[in-house]
Amino acid sequence: MNQNPILSLHPLTKFYFAIFITVSVIIVPNYLFAYAWFPVLIVIAAMAKVAKSFISFILKTLIILLAIVFLMQVFFYPGEDVIGSWWIFELTNEGLLQGLSLTSRILAIGSAFILFFRIVEIKDFVKALEDIGMPPTGAYIVLSTLQIIPEMRRQSNTIMEAQKTRGVETEGSLIVRAKAFFPTLTPLILSSIASTEERAITLESRAFSAPGKKTSLHKLTKRPIDRVLPWVYVGIIIGLIIWRVFL
Amino acid sequence: MLKKIKADFNLLAILLIPIGIAVNFVGFQVAQILRLPIFLDTIGTILIGVIAGPWVALVAALITNSITAIFNPVYFPYVVTSMAIGVGAGLLSKYGMLSNVYKTIVSGLVITAIAVVVSSPITVIFFGGATGNTSSAITATFLAMGQNIWGAVFSSAIITEIADKVVSVLLVYFVVKSISDRYLSKMKYGHLYMKKRNTKSKKRITHPNLFT
Repeated sequence: MNQNPILSLHPLTKFYFAIFITVSVIIVPNYLFAYAWFPVLIVIAAMAKVAKSFISFILKTLIILLAIVFLMQVFFYPGEDVIGSWWIFELTNEGLLQGLSLTSRILAIGSAFILFFRIVEIKDFVKALEDIGMPPTGAYIVLSTLQIIPEMRRQSNTIMEAQKTRGVETEGSLIVRAKAFFPTLTPLILSSIASTEERAITLESRAFSAPGKKTSLHKLTKRPIDRVLPWVYVGIIIGLIIWRVFL
Repeated sequence: MLKKIKADFNLLAILLIPIGIAVNFVGFQVAQILRLPIFLDTIGTILIGVIAGPWVALVAALITNSITAIFNPVYFPYVVTSMAIGVGAGLLSKYGMLSNVYKTIVSGLVITAIAVVVSSPITVIFFGGATGNTSSAITATFLAMGQNIWGAVFSSAIITEIADKVVSVLLVYFVVKSISDRYLSKMKYGHLYMKKRNTKSKKRITHPNLFT
């Protein structure tokens, strides 16, 4: 059993936490509140010992998006209160506020889910979803997809190399490159489709579509804290709604 | 209704879903390798819609975007666009809109329209109009020219989506033409694309189906 206090939580507890952050930044309009989640998430990541990969992932994916979204709002959001100008653009106060509030929310929600996928095993999460009612077929689809994607990527490279030796050009003008797309993808799709029939026979021989309850070798345990935490989230959300509506 | 939907998910349709999702990813990857200016990341979803029906495509789209979310959750809101594309492709197929090349191009335009109408509000509401891909630059140009945000996002989405979706649907059309009758006969809309058709009675040829 994993002894790390964050990692050992039930996958759904972690998932509800990401949802909780999403709902909370939608309820509270203040951008400082949404930005404040980010250091909290870094602390959680550090506790789970994934801080380094978490931060480098955010730098790689989120920062550029945030910069673009922010600049778009600052320069193009309609507003009257001009606080500066540059070339043909006008910097407005409304645009600045809109930019801050939009980026703060994207950062909070985006990083909450990025962290979620850092601290949860997909296998566990799918199992947890199955436990709360997703059909086992759904779990099979998700897990087999994750296996098939790298396999088909390799296959597409092989097909591309093979087509190159046959004389299909993959370099040159846009038209030449676009033409190479068809001979790469068509054989890949056709051969993959053909393989599903074999897979169907294999699965059927193992009673895949037989009715009845399925047992699983992979089991998840819920500890008391996994029962308490979701209610804590709900309590805080209700508190925030009351605070927003009445105060 | 629910029973009908459930009937769409026979074992072969279920096994087609992972393939379709992987095709979405591989199509995108190959487009990147060939440095094409379009994404081509919905080919699998459209393919599933065309031969296995709208509901299976809907599930495939949902799972595709959920898997993308593992790597980058920020673009998850676009799941709605993918699902609409899948359902759209399924319905177009049902009404015979992929039976020849010209109709297929029209279908491509219809799917473009679906993609633009569904994705533009997401771009404006969730990202304020720009998501950092090539269309953002076009959006910014339109905005600088004085268009309002909706007009700018719609126009740039049409420009970037049209080639993408028409090429995707055409590819699916040619792929479906090359799939064996034996396989097509086990798919929901497969009978529409089979080479040996029982044209006299207009009834679909049903093969003894092992996998239902």
